[in-house]
Amino acid sequence: MKPEQVSMPAGKVDPGKDDTLGVTDLTKRFDVNGSPVTVLDRITFNARAGEMICILGRSGCGKTTLLNILAGFFPPSSGDVRLNGRPVEKPGPDRCVVFQEDTLFPWLTVWENIAFGLKGRTRDRRYITDEVDRFLSLVGLGPFRDYLPKEISGGMKQRVALARVLILKPRVLLMDEPFAALDAQTREEMQALLVSLWQKLSQTILFVTHNVEEAITLADRILVMNNRPGHIREEIPVLLPRPRRIEKAEFVFFRRKLHESLRD
Amino acid sequence: MAHDLFKKSYRLIPWVLPAGLVLVWAAITETGLVPAYLLPSPTEIGRMGYHYILGPSGTGAYAGRFHTDALASLIRVGVGFGCAVLLGLPLGVISGRLMLVHRLLNTLVNGLRAVPGITWLPLAMVWFGIGLKTTVFLVALAAFFPIYLNAAAGARQVNPLLLRAGAMMGVNRLRGTFAILLPGAMPHIMTGLRLGLGISWAYLVLGELTGVPNGLGAAIMDARMLGRVDMIIVGMMIIACIGRVSDQLLVASLKFCLKSARRMA
Repeated sequence: MKPEQVSMPAGKVDPGKDDTLGVTDLTKRFDVNGSPVTVLDRITFNARAGEMICILGRSGCGKTTLLNILAGFFPPSSGDVRLNGRPVEKPGPDRCVVFQEDTLFPWLTVWENIAFGLKGRTRDRRYITDEVDRFLSLVGLGPFRDYLPKEISGGMKQRVALARVLILKPRVLLMDEPFAALDAQTREEMQALLVSLWQKLSQTILFVTHNVEEAITLADRILVMNNRPGHIREEIPVLLPRPRRIEKAEFVFFRRKLHESLRD
Repeated sequence: MAHDLFKKSYRLIPWVLPAGLVLVWAAITETGLVPAYLLPSPTEIGRMGYHYILGPSGTGAYAGRFHTDALASLIRVGVGFGCAVLLGLPLGVISGRLMLVHRLLNTLVNGLRAVPGITWLPLAMVWFGIGLKTTVFLVALAAFFPIYLNAAAGARQVNPLLLRAGAMMGVNRLRGTFAILLPGAMPHIMTGLRLGLGISWAYLVLGELTGVPNGLGAAIMDARMLGRVDMIIVGMMIIACIGRVSDQLLVASLKFCLKSARRMA
């Protein structure tokens, strides 16, 4: 697998009708001390249903801003974001986010945190109980159902954060460096968990990271972002067989190639 | 064993200072350092307290008046504090979240807050006359500020990411307010309610000093006119006890009713 053979320039994709998420010419400018600064520059890509896409870029390249716009937390300066053909205007459970920070509700137990979104959607207690129990065991937190967020570790918190949005069955799951604050071993566990959940639920996932190994481990496709202004420089399909292990020769080879192309 | 002993004595710690105070007090009165008409001895106060609370009415001044006094005072505090909560809590939460409302209210509220509560007394007497209304007004006015200010501070400091997380899970404004904003602000709200209830008792006595026939404050003021220092001290101690118990009841009932009060405080 040679990355330079399969990579192609970004911005040439045509957002088709059955794409889950289509982003066209998205630009974001912020006003910094009266002068406009372009943070995101004509971002164009699409995500197909069930695809795992990693957006790889350094800190400060605007990848979190991009994710926040896709989530609907604030609008782009220009350009277009569409989910199944419909424009994205405000936050909603069809585009759920797993944040880097701990955003669990500290007054709710693990179980109640996972049930939170469903409770706004249905009054069917039976259904809620069954679903929450199912997702609780999917993320391996069965024994911790009655714990409060402050009583569990950072990795467990991110498992809860994952379960509470997966249970809502979003069309796209947006993940903003969710494992960046975890130790290396926990991060690997979480990556393996994410891949297994993704395969089980065929969930479309957009995963932002600055970590090259993480991107190779997870992605079907890697979108490489430039710094200042944030622009998608390259789109690299990752066709390595799963499960991908960091010590395998093909992984090491791919990583070296990716590093080289990042350096140019 | 030693551990058990420690645990038992740990429970006694809150009573060490009150007991010490009573001992010092007894020593002062026993030695005759202060004459009894200025400071009666603890045993006399105890006798008077018993008389006031449990004595059959008609057997002497103040005998058995406790129940009517306490009931009257509790009603005044309850109504006044209730008004302060009904007004201060929603206004505080709204001004904590909406800059416009905050700007609208801030100057007026802080201006009013600078006026000592006692200066409202003459005006309140002119407006409402002597009795329930004046006291309730004073209590509500005094309790409003800590409730309002703490609710506003609490609502302001709720982690915006929690509200964002709610929005992305499809939570509407109404549910967001009750399921995220209020629980997130709960520690501050609780502090405000406790401060408000505490100050309610202070302003209750102030309101009752003005010639109402019953109430704990009225009993104290009445005793001053008659030079009954023992009754003054009994009244003060009863207010201390009721104030402490009402604070604990407030905390306990909040914790009983609300997960956020139970799990975050």
